Amino acid sequence: MRAIILAGGRGKRLGGLTDSRSKVMLPLAGKPMLEWLLHVLEETEVKEVTIVYYYAGERILTHFGSGRDYNLNIQFVKQHSDRGTVGSLITGLSTINENEDDRVLILNGDNMVDSSSINSLLKIEGNGLIVSEHDTPHLFGVVEFRGTNIKSITEKPDINQIRSRMVSTGVWYLKREVIEKIKLDFEEGQTELSTSISKQIKEGLKIESVRTENWHDVDHPWDLNKLNRFLLEKMERLISDGAEITDCSTINGDVQIGKGTIIHPGCVIQGPVHIAENCEIGPLAVITGSTSISSGCRIGPFTRIRSSLIMRDVQIDSNCSIHHSIIGPATSLKSNVEVDAASVQKIVRNTHYQIRRLGLVTGEACMLEQGVICAPGTMLGSQVLVGRRTKLDGEYETGTRLIRGA
Amino acid sequence: MCGIFGIIGDKKTSKLLMHGLKRMEYRGYDSSGICIVNGKEFIRKRAVGELSNLEPLVVDLPDSECGIAHTRWATHGPPTVENAHPHMSPKLDVAVVHNGIIENEVELRKELRSIDENLQFGSETDSEIVAHLLSNEIKNSGINMAKAKEEEFISCWKTVLEKLEGSFALAVVIKGRKDFILFARKFAPLIISHDGEKGLLASDVSCVVGLTENVHYLDEGDWGLINNAGVQIYNVDGEKVEKDPKKLEWKLGDAELGGYPTFMLKEIYEQPRVVRDCLRGRLSRDKIKGVPIPFNPRVLRIVGCGTAYNAGLLARYYIEQLSKIPVILDHAHEFRYGAPSGPKSLVIGISQSGETADTLAAIQAAHERGYPTLGIVNVESSTIARNVDTMIGIRAGPEIGVASTKAFTGQVLGGLLVAMKLGQDSKNFHREDLSYFDRHARKLPTSMERMLNDQNIKTKLWEAQQFFVGKNHAFFLGRNTSYPIALEGALKLKEISYIHAEGYAAGELKHGPLALVEEGTPIVVIASEGSSHKKLLGNAREVASRGAKVIFITHQEDELADSHADLVIKVPRTHDLLQPLLYNIICQLLSLNIAEERGCNVDRPRNLAKSVTVE
Repeated sequence: MRAIILAGGRGKRLGGLTDSRSKVMLPLAGKPMLEWLLHVLEETEVKEVTIVYYYAGERILTHFGSGRDYNLNIQFVKQHSDRGTVGSLITGLSTINENEDDRVLILNGDNMVDSSSINSLLKIEGNGLIVSEHDTPHLFGVVEFRGTNIKSITEKPDINQIRSRMVSTGVWYLKREVIEKIKLDFEEGQTELSTSISKQIKEGLKIESVRTENWHDVDHPWDLNKLNRFLLEKMERLISDGAEITDCSTINGDVQIGKGTIIHPGCVIQGPVHIAENCEIGPLAVITGSTSISSGCRIGPFTRIRSSLIMRDVQIDSNCSIHHSIIGPATSLKSNVEVDAASVQKIVRNTHYQIRRLGLVTGEACMLEQGVICAPGTMLGSQVLVGRRTKLDGEYETGTRLIRGA
Repeated sequence: MCGIFGIIGDKKTSKLLMHGLKRMEYRGYDSSGICIVNGKEFIRKRAVGELSNLEPLVVDLPDSECGIAHTRWATHGPPTVENAHPHMSPKLDVAVVHNGIIENEVELRKELRSIDENLQFGSETDSEIVAHLLSNEIKNSGINMAKAKEEEFISCWKTVLEKLEGSFALAVVIKGRKDFILFARKFAPLIISHDGEKGLLASDVSCVVGLTENVHYLDEGDWGLINNAGVQIYNVDGEKVEKDPKKLEWKLGDAELGGYPTFMLKEIYEQPRVVRDCLRGRLSRDKIKGVPIPFNPRVLRIVGCGTAYNAGLLARYYIEQLSKIPVILDHAHEFRYGAPSGPKSLVIGISQSGETADTLAAIQAAHERGYPTLGIVNVESSTIARNVDTMIGIRAGPEIGVASTKAFTGQVLGGLLVAMKLGQDSKNFHREDLSYFDRHARKLPTSMERMLNDQNIKTKLWEAQQFFVGKNHAFFLGRNTSYPIALEGALKLKEISYIHAEGYAAGELKHGPLALVEEGTPIVVIASEGSSHKKLLGNAREVASRGAKVIFITHQEDELADSHADLVIKVPRTHDLLQPLLYNIICQLLSLNIAEERGCNVDRPRNLAKSVTVE
């Protein structure tokens, strides 16, 4: 059984976070999203995997190497250009041999589904799709049913015309003949998968549905925190032998600490927390609830971090307070940086988003000097320089310099 | 350089031999061959050129449990089928593969002719002589080839080895004997492994990765026999020695392409990881750890060849700037001709493979003069690593592409660590300087990643590449710390695209080479720091006014360059000491693009070998 994972997109709505890596390579709970997805597939009947890459694909290749560490036979193919979902699907099909199964599993690399739903999908006789209930269905492909079969899929319908709360997760199990027809449509200019399939449904194609409760889609930065929390909650306590935990630190709950990491005296770490390799924490730092810290980070004394995602090589000095934030790779926060987190409303492309809690989001290699104060929902691009005691509120583009006198 | 490979105790010998040859292809590749023991006969297949020429000859070979194989990079005699290894004795009873040089070849040939006047040599190589000698020795000792015990062959083998001078790694099989392989090493790399069922011997770790997990590293002059049960190793005095196997640290995936079109591209993109790994545990806010410098040296001497020499040149700038200790830099092969530098000299040898014969010879010469030595190497189990007094491993992982990329970055960081350590010891590089450096060094991998993925830079590189279309000459200019990058940039372009490129210190240009600049000559200028930068801009103007096409590589905060060049490529800003590494990556990518555009094989350029194990 072969799965095709579409991992070509950049994830533009994640701003600076995807400057030099695609969305699927953002680290959550210690591993890139794509790696988590491969672990899910390892628990299914899928044996072969094709990963279709495009944006920042070298990072994918470098990370996965020959792919031998997985219980799967992994192949990588590069999409020729950014040609939408169908374009990359067709690129992925080129890796299929003639004598393989008649059907393929299709997934998006930036989605997370549980293995049991995939296994139920693979038990279907004909074609199938995993669907999930969603609070804001109008942002996805809304699915209507006739029995368990799918009657129609409407991509991003008008909010007033929604007749179902069920949406397509983009996890398809399709016969090759169905894909052949999609290919013909594509040659006529149809690049959306669900639109092309809707047309086939009207012509009598039968597609069964499987319902899941565990579907996560990452589109905006705040989705990252949510998925990070979900992944951390499944994690068990594991403190590597190579980690150096000094006396009188308190480490409670499901905490993972990687090798080479030093926890200086007097730290309090309350799980679920994942701290990767070669970090330096404390002394006297407090890290609590649903926090992931990637490798090479340094967290200074008296700093508190809660429910945040800290990416590679981040340096946070003393006396900082960080909540519900996402700190991009190689960002530096000097001492006394304070981030407030609260319920936030964001409007992206005319759509309202109500986020339960959001602090600061930074892109790559930002620099916040001493005493910067960030209002809830502050979003920075990459390489933003912020001078001492600046108050931040709102969104700042890549390369912004907020330095007095500059 | 040539690579040898042997297997015993596995039915799929010919398949595994081919697999191993593919892994070693980069060591040398003008011809190749294999020989397996099949019943009472040998089956030998050889071919000139790419390994794909040998492959069809090998597919239908019968099962065998014992065989040897070779990839050749011609030194004695042109690449022809006759000169390809394995070589056999006239009676076709001994087959040998050899890496290295037999220096007393002429005398030995004479000796063989004195025994048999009509002796015909099958090839022009020195290697063939080994087969002749062993065949003669077996005949003289009167043993029965098919029935004799291993011990009898061991004593013949010992006699032959005593006659050989020079450098060699040898593997020998005997007609009708699928139960053992004889081997020897002296100044050429050879590793042995045995897992209780199958035995392997190879020039190179990358050859056995995935086939075994434990290997024995041999010392100079070690020799012995490998059979179905295990390994017998003897030292140079003929005493049996026990060697504990060491665990291989490299994983199979590290030596494979894994989706990348070329190893060179893969290795360029691995550089952010190399920076992280190389500095891990060594650099912290207040001190440099794990950089073993035996005493306070008064003079430093650095030796290296090719890319390692360029890395050494950059290290020299670093060491002199940070510690004020004078550094003498030599091409490793020229080291021995120089004058002694007095007491309290420390010799630093830089080599990726740790097998570079020239560098090894310089290290040995240093020992003879009584200097302590420090190695900066990538392969931590290599000969140089085991011959120096102290060592810094650069942790770059296997480098397969012949043109060195990620190892350069690692070597420079190794040199920088030495410079900072010496700077701290001599109180010229302070704690504050280190913590400021550390802050930037932590961000360097991300800056590299940003740069490698920057669409704007990719476009600029494409534009820069157009300057080289139809051109056969190019210059790379630098000043101060960017001078070594200019040399390295020119070396990369020469190596893989076959364009004649010269790296110059920009100030040197007007003293001669300026005469070569004509309308449209592509000139890459690499920015430097501080006051030298303005001088460099002047030099750029100098060549531009003679019609040259100037490509200026600088950092994002430099606004002066824009008006001085036809094309400016800007990389992220980092610490002055680290900035050259980012410029270098641009040069690597530029060379790679140009070479691919010209249809060159970037991983295996003509005439070149990855690890040069002859002097």
